[in-house]
Amino acid sequence: MSGPGSAAPAQPGGPAFELPPILAGIHPRARWRELGLLVLVAVALTVGSISLGATLRARSGEAGQGIPDGAFAPYGASLLAIYLLALLAAHLGQVLAGRRGDQVLLPAVGLLGGISLLLMERLPQTLGGQFGGLAQTQLVWLIIALAIVTAIAIAVRSDSWLRLYKYTWAAAGVGLLLLTFVLGRDVNGARLTLEIGPFSGQPSELLKVILVVFLAGYLSENRALLVEQSTRVGPVALPPFPYLAPMVAMWAIALLIVVVQRDLGAALLFFAVFLLLLYIATARWSFVVLGLVAFLLGGALMYLLFDHVQQRVDIWLDPFADPRGAGYQIVMALYAFGRGGILGTGLGNGLPTVGGGQPGGIPEVHTDFPLAALGEELGLIGVLAILGLYLVVIERGLRIAAAAADEFRALLAAGLSLVVGVQAFIIAAGNLKLIPLTGITLPFISYGGSSLLANSIVVGLLLALSDRGVEPPRPPRSGRRLARLFDRGAP
Amino acid sequence: MDAFAASLWLLRLLFLVLLYLFLFAVVRVLVRDLRAAAREPGAELGRLRVLESPSGEPASGATFGLDALTTLGRDVNNTIVVDDPFASSEHAVLSYRGRTWYVEDLGSTNGTYVNGGRVDGVSPIGFGDELQVGQVRMRLERIRR
Amino acid sequence: MIAADRRRPARRPVGANIARVGLVLAIAFGGLAAGAGYWQVARATPLSNAPDNPAVVAAARRAVRGEIVDRDGEWLARSRRDPNGEPYRVYRSPILSPVVGYSSRLFGSAGLERTYDAQLVGLARPDPVSDLLKKFDPDPTDPQRLTLSLSLTLQQAAVRALGKDRGAVVMIQPRTGEVLALASTPIYDASAVANPATSEAAFAEIQADRSQPLLPRATQGRYVPGSVFKIVTAMAALDSGAVTPETTYEQQPAAERDGLLVEGFRIRDGHHLFTGNRALDFVEATEVSCNIWYALAGLDTGPEALARTADRAGFDDTIPFDLPLGPSQVTNGGGDFGAGFKDAVELANAAYGQGETVVTPFQMALVAAAVANDGVIMEPHLVTSMTGERTGTRRIEPQPWRQVVTPQVAREIQAAMQRAVEGELGRQFTPGADVPGVEVAGKSGTAELDGGANPHSWFIGFAPVDNPQVAIAVLVEGGGRGGERAAPLAGAMMKAALDLLGD
Repeated sequence: MSGPGSAAPAQPGGPAFELPPILAGIHPRARWRELGLLVLVAVALTVGSISLGATLRARSGEAGQGIPDGAFAPYGASLLAIYLLALLAAHLGQVLAGRRGDQVLLPAVGLLGGISLLLMERLPQTLGGQFGGLAQTQLVWLIIALAIVTAIAIAVRSDSWLRLYKYTWAAAGVGLLLLTFVLGRDVNGARLTLEIGPFSGQPSELLKVILVVFLAGYLSENRALLVEQSTRVGPVALPPFPYLAPMVAMWAIALLIVVVQRDLGAALLFFAVFLLLLYIATARWSFVVLGLVAFLLGGALMYLLFDHVQQRVDIWLDPFADPRGAGYQIVMALYAFGRGGILGTGLGNGLPTVGGGQPGGIPEVHTDFPLAALGEELGLIGVLAILGLYLVVIERGLRIAAAAADEFRALLAAGLSLVVGVQAFIIAAGNLKLIPLTGITLPFISYGGSSLLANSIVVGLLLALSDRGVEPPRPPRSGRRLARLFDRGAP
Repeated sequence: MDAFAASLWLLRLLFLVLLYLFLFAVVRVLVRDLRAAAREPGAELGRLRVLESPSGEPASGATFGLDALTTLGRDVNNTIVVDDPFASSEHAVLSYRGRTWYVEDLGSTNGTYVNGGRVDGVSPIGFGDELQVGQVRMRLERIRR
Repeated sequence: MIAADRRRPARRPVGANIARVGLVLAIAFGGLAAGAGYWQVARATPLSNAPDNPAVVAAARRAVRGEIVDRDGEWLARSRRDPNGEPYRVYRSPILSPVVGYSSRLFGSAGLERTYDAQLVGLARPDPVSDLLKKFDPDPTDPQRLTLSLSLTLQQAAVRALGKDRGAVVMIQPRTGEVLALASTPIYDASAVANPATSEAAFAEIQADRSQPLLPRATQGRYVPGSVFKIVTAMAALDSGAVTPETTYEQQPAAERDGLLVEGFRIRDGHHLFTGNRALDFVEATEVSCNIWYALAGLDTGPEALARTADRAGFDDTIPFDLPLGPSQVTNGGGDFGAGFKDAVELANAAYGQGETVVTPFQMALVAAAVANDGVIMEPHLVTSMTGERTGTRRIEPQPWRQVVTPQVAREIQAAMQRAVEGELGRQFTPGADVPGVEVAGKSGTAELDGGANPHSWFIGFAPVDNPQVAIAVLVEGGGRGGERAAPLAGAMMKAALDLLGD
């Protein structure tokens, strides 16, 4: 009973705490890595807010007048403190729940959210906000998002409610979409916003989660059939026709979104995630190529038929053709990137009019162009760090997928992380004029409740999925059984 | 450049440095995870030998290399398809955690048995133990390296 | 049982697929990083110095802009302060307005004031290293003083010579690309626009003016070129080998009387009184500006070669210059005859400068400079150096832009253009273009307009032929025949320039 016995308790992730008897039902499990990373996040954000504060105070008090009083106090200290406490609470919630979920996702997402908070503090507060100014509102949403992450991470232990009712989910998604088509309110020429009573939101954010759940369910169930039987059409092997139907439907829905909702971003996102998941399930590049061709054909048709598509593409090709009109937003964003250079101007030191309706600012900077604002103030170095953070989130998500117990969970986890990754890519590439600009948000950074809430569901599910599979046994009831186990197991 | 401007620049750079410090710390965690995964190779951690299988799927005498997670059941999406009238579609999961094998019954109708004893929820299982799913009997074997 | 037909080949795990998709995303993010690098490093300087950039606009509002001086150090634009202590601009003379432009708090900026906004304000540093380091500077602005190649004297002479007419005079040093004069009329009072006290009224008045003084004729006016375009045709024809200087067309003499029929369209000429029924070669055809010879040469050259040579000279292209240039075109495009031409008629017409051909005076000055400089166009520029108090002086050195034709072809055209000014017959088409004691080459043009309006009067040329110091393009709107108005004006201007430059 010596040697191997020391590894017996078999609880990777840390030792169990002793709790007072009254809390006996709780089995806490330390998450030291997460805590360590969260401390680093807290330090980074504090330094960021000090730098922001010093810069803003020096600017308002005429530069070069010596050091203003209290120049080095953190800016918006109370907001930051509340946010950091919320992060800590999310951490402790998971510790107390005793789950062994991923320990990197929360800090990575927490840092992105913190950068968002710093940015919102720095932008004109009048840009928006149901709960006070821009920053306060974003903080409220961030806290709600963290609460959702924690609640899902703790509470979701079974996936059958997602797995079994996939068609119900699909129906709900389509219903939501139709509701938006019919009742949606046009904002900036795009019908993205749904208002029901006092609540307004962008259903496409929620839709993307529902879509992934449905696709994971559908593809995991029919995976073998999609690969195995095929209808050959010339050089390409197509899946049997009945199984092709959902794919055609996806294609149609994506195009419909472009036409009715004028939401190029969501269409692109849905379709890209769909194709990538299809590849994961079938390992057939031919399906992806086929899908791409179909999408491009559809896109070309849209370009010819619809002015708003044409306009987007033309602006993208040459925004400088009309720098004060149609191309204004993207041109201003590129100027901001250019001003930032390698090191950036420093937080708070970008153009005072970086956002808002003032002349010279980027319109809709807080929702559509946060990357440009950060590119100006943090420079290329900062942009690369932020891109790195997204890659970390994607990598963790895909690892969770690769380690998942079965295909549904694997596809679900992969789809969820792809949704975040592809969305970040689409909007960042739009900001950088690599692809036409679309109106979707930068996950975790853009201002707005819908986006934060939907992405918090994603993160919460990923955390829950990372702790799936077999629960290790409770400590064995009899010593004899334990002895038997390790006697047999020993070489 | 006065002291204030200098410290301001220092702060700005420090923030950027901290962002990268965080990324570095995260990457270290990732690398450590990858190493750990490499140490427990996705290659076989154990083997399941079929001792008896009335229906022929799986075939008697067949062996299956085991990953960290192996699902058994009648459904085609299981790692090992047990096409036995007494097996449920999602019958049981074999998993390897912390150097120990566990078997979990997924609420099957007819139960999962280890050495003849019915598994209630999760149970450890050692090399040499006999596992029964439906009418199929299998033995967990160590892979000699 | 049922599983028998559902039995699959060994089930492939999804892990490898997930890893591959992860790789695809990582590559995509690598693309984002490259994009960010492109805008934030490679394009950072031009972007942050763009006149539209709000940072530049904001700094321009506060900063005391640097001086602008001419090639002899005469001031052209400088800053004053209004009673509130805020700076505003004053300009030496309204004759500069189409070049220097204005910088106004209310109406933005134009001309060089706009192009060099960032440098005049001192936001942009003359070299990339100090531009990167400026962020560490407590006072990041260092206004630059611009020295131009422009000569105030020549500019004054040119505007005076144009008088009440609308038109343009462009003078370039062919060997360096330095612009000596860039006159456009009508002019406007830029000082009044810049002065905050008079700004609004002055700008409103200028905008209401139907002669469009805000349009700089020399750089952005687009005109039918008439016969001066024959030089471009000659370049294309000789360079492509379609014709030689000895080429004659036997149908030409007969066509002089009744016109040359090209697909039913009749091309006419007016010089047979002088030449009789002779078949002309290249030099003679240029001397008497023979439309029929050039139409035939153009048809021989073909649409592609003509368009190719013109494009090399800057047509339908972005010419690097300190001011925005209007596009020059050989054809409207869209036709399927070749290079966008509609048919042989359009090509034949274009060959002698009618058709759908449209040019800016600046473009034609570059053509003259190309011939003068043995086929090479030097990069045209106005600003020769920038000086900042802290950052020192940076000179802009002359550099070649393009070789349009071979030196051999250029010399053949030089000889023909010299005959057009100094030859027995040529003199009658270009009276007054000669400069006593100097060998002058040139070509006049008369741009016929639809509706019988008085034609535009054109002249392009250069002098001295063997050592070109100045190339010139003159355009006078509605000035009549090329020899009436543009040729004598050009002669006087070339003389003035040579007096000024040559010691």
